[in-house]
This record gives sequence, structure tokens and C-alpha cells, in this order.
Amino acid sequence: MGLGAFEDVVAAHHPEIYRYLRRLTFRATEADDLVQETFLRAYRAWQMLAPDANVRAWLFAIATNLARNHFRAESRRRRAYVAVGDRRAEADPAGPEEEHVFRETRALLDRVVAGLPLKQRLAFTLRKVHDLDYEAIGESLECSPESARAHVFQALKKIRVSLNGHELPAMEPTR
Amino acid sequence: MTPKYSSCRAIEPDLVAAATGEAGAAAVRRVDDHTRGCVSCRDELGRYRAIDSIARGLRHETPPAADLAASRSALQARLADLKSRVLTYGIVPSPLGNILVARSEHGVSLVEYLGEGTTLAASRLHELTDVETVESSVEIARLRDELLDFLAGRRRQLGWRLDLRLAGSDFRRSVLEAAVAVPYGAVTSYATIARRVGKPGAERAVAQALRWNPLPIVVPCHRIVGSSGKLTGYAGDKLGLKRQLLDVEGVRTAPASKDFRVARETMYVRAGDDRAYCLPTCGDLPSHTLANLTLIASRESVEALGLEPCSDCRPDLHPLG
Repeated sequence: MGLGAFEDVVAAHHPEIYRYLRRLTFRATEADDLVQETFLRAYRAWQMLAPDANVRAWLFAIATNLARNHFRAESRRRRAYVAVGDRRAEADPAGPEEEHVFRETRALLDRVVAGLPLKQRLAFTLRKVHDLDYEAIGESLECSPESARAHVFQALKKIRVSLNGHELPAMEPTR
Repeated sequence: MTPKYSSCRAIEPDLVAAATGEAGAAAVRRVDDHTRGCVSCRDELGRYRAIDSIARGLRHETPPAADLAASRSALQARLADLKSRVLTYGIVPSPLGNILVARSEHGVSLVEYLGEGTTLAASRLHELTDVETVESSVEIARLRDELLDFLAGRRRQLGWRLDLRLAGSDFRRSVLEAAVAVPYGAVTSYATIARRVGKPGAERAVAQALRWNPLPIVVPCHRIVGSSGKLTGYAGDKLGLKRQLLDVEGVRTAPASKDFRVARETMYVRAGDDRAYCLPTCGDLPSHTLANLTLIASRESVEALGLEPCSDCRPDLHPLG
């Protein structure tokens, strides 16, 4: 039944899917549930998957779909939003003084991202944290690649506005 | 021609794309042209670059290793549980109608005649709780090919690993195991099977167990008939299929009152567990019921069992036509 192959899928992708869902939910138990459901669903559908399918993008699509259902209850979102500050404070290791601005901005960014409309938040996370291309993001969010790109753009604009008045670290051009 | 933007608002999408490294060459040129003369957009470009860089830094943030390990371990447990419950199935169109074949991680667990049915709704799988079904014609492809070869007489064995958990009880399971041992092209009786499972006289219970055989064809309950030689029943009301299967294996049948009987006069005979085989006319064999006999349709099947010819009737010298 291709079980061996599916175990390879778990080994290859569980850490990243866990990281994704953990970031979205901010609570280990919620992430645990969603991760398990993601891979159980994937297992059920695994045999129907085309041999040349992008397994990573497919798993992100399943995880994203489950996350969207999960957050349909607005109260959960609010809880997650409140929880983010605490978790980040714990997660940030003590670093050199020159990283202070960078870390502070990252904590702030986390908080802003957590408050974004869900699609923008998911698109932003898939693009910036997990480096999925817009086609894969579109598949995850059931929209076109152009809409996926627009969600990321809107997210960046909102983040930019939210960070108004905050000191940002100086950056060299990326190109 | 490069469009010339007249306002900072219009350049913003290009600005964001350029800051995040996603802009094409033309957009980069537009941004360069614009920011050369617009200090505030130049600053804005820097800010977007900073935001992008910080966001990308999130890639390196990892959850606690212990949490990751706990999640993996919980997932493995759930998957193991699911795997033990999943049945993968496919529906095979065949000369005997549509046949559902399902397998678990342990082996083939269900073969079911669906007649004209083409969906799971026609199957008893539909009613099983504690089981998750996944359709996969790809996974079932090898089984389908071998089954069709068997039904066409091109294959004498289905060497499938079996999962007898749907048998229902230990007794039924033991009946199925005894039925598996009845060889290709041979016919024996419910009474013989009852004796083999250590329940002499329990032929009715054996017949019931075979009536609910979850693996017809593979567990060849079609090779088991009444002691009178009558076919008596098959998978409920599918006596016609029993005749068809016997026919594929070279076992001839003839009409009998409201039923069919095995044409024993056309078959070699093995008494009990003897190492010899006889002609059907040997000694007083014609007067025996099938309660302790096995009938075998062909020399080929007899030889496959490694039996010796009877020294009285010499079936090797007088083969059946």
C-alpha cells in the first residue's frame, strides 16, 4: 500500500508542517491536532496522488485548509493573537546588543501578522516563512497565483503601516 | 516604452516587489527611475527591505525540539492506528459481474460480488464500522489482473496474502483456512471440512461459515459441495457463479432436482487423506457419499497433488476421457 513511501513523506515534511501550524496557532496542542489531521488526511489521499505531484505544496494545502477551518471560530483567532506576545518573548534567545532592534521588530512583526486577515496572514507566512511560490500558495488558498501575490502585497503594506514610527534596522538592497 | 509613473502611490506595487526581490527588470528600472528623484520613496524602499528581511528571518525560527519530537511520536501512533483500519479497494468488472477487492496492510481482506453495482454503496464495506475505506484502482491493479487471469483459466493459483479478520469468529476462520487447502480443480464436501476443523458432523455450521466467506474465489468455497454432490448454495443465492467457477477449473456439473450436482463420474477420486487416487468406478466408491471423498477433475490436478495411481483400478492406464 505504499506505506514505506508515506513514512518517507512524514519524515521529510513533518518538521516543516509542524513549524507552519505551530506558528499559525501559537499553541502546541492546537498545532499537534492540526498536524496529525493533516497527515492522516494526506495518508488517506496518498494513493490517489499523481506520481509527479508536488508533495510539499500538497501537504501545505491540506494544512492550510485545516487551519482555515480551525480559525473559522473567531474566538480562537483572538486567543492566538493574545498569546503571540508571550510566546515570542520566550522563543527569542538572548542575543548581542546590536540585534536588539532586529529582535524587537521581529516580535512586533509577529504581532502584526497575527492580527492580519486570515488569508493575508496565511499567504504571507507561506511566502515569507516557507518560501512557497505563488502558484502553490494559490492552491493552498484556493485562489489564483495573482490573488495569492495580492494577499502577500496587502499583508506587507499593512505591516509597513503598523510599523510606522518604529525604528527599523538598516538593510542593504536584496538584489 | 517604459511607463512613467506620476505618483508615489502608483509606484508602490513595484516598490514592494523590488524590495522583496520579486520585481522583474522593467519594474526595477521604474523603481530606480522613481526613487532617484523621490527621497520619501527611497526611504520607503529601505523600510520594505527591512520588513522583508525580518520576515525571512522567521524561517530560521524553530519550535522546541522536544515539542517537535512529541508531535512526531503522537503522529506515528495515530498513523499506525489508521493504517490498521484502512481498507484499500477497487471494483473489478469481470465475467462474474463487478467484483470488489479490498486489502488491508495485512493482506486481501474482502472479495465481494457486486453484480451490477459499481460503487461502495453496493458493498458490505459500506456498513462496516471501525474500517476506513480508500478507493485506489492503482493499488488494486495487480490483484485485478491476477483475478481476471484466474477467472479466464490462465492462472491456477491466487497466491495472495490473506487477512481473515472479517471472518467473524475463530470457527469461521478455521473453516476458511480449511477451505483454502482444497486444491484447484477439486471438489469436496462440507462434511469433510467439518472433520478437518475438528467438528465432525458440523456441516451446517461449515456451510453457514462459507455462506459468509468474505473472500470468495480466493478462499475457494465454490469447491465445497453437499455430501450428495449437489452444489447446494453459494454466497447466498449465487449458485450460477459457483457453476461458472467450477467450470473454469474443469469441474463438470449437471442439473439435479432444483439444483446442480457435480458430475462425479467424470472425476478422479481420493478417499480421505489417501496418497492414492482412483477412477470413480473403483470398488464400492460409487456407493459412497462425498462425506469423506475429494473429487479431482483432471490428471493435471491429481499430479499437482503428488498422488499415486490406485493399484487396483490403475487410473494412469485408464484415464478419464
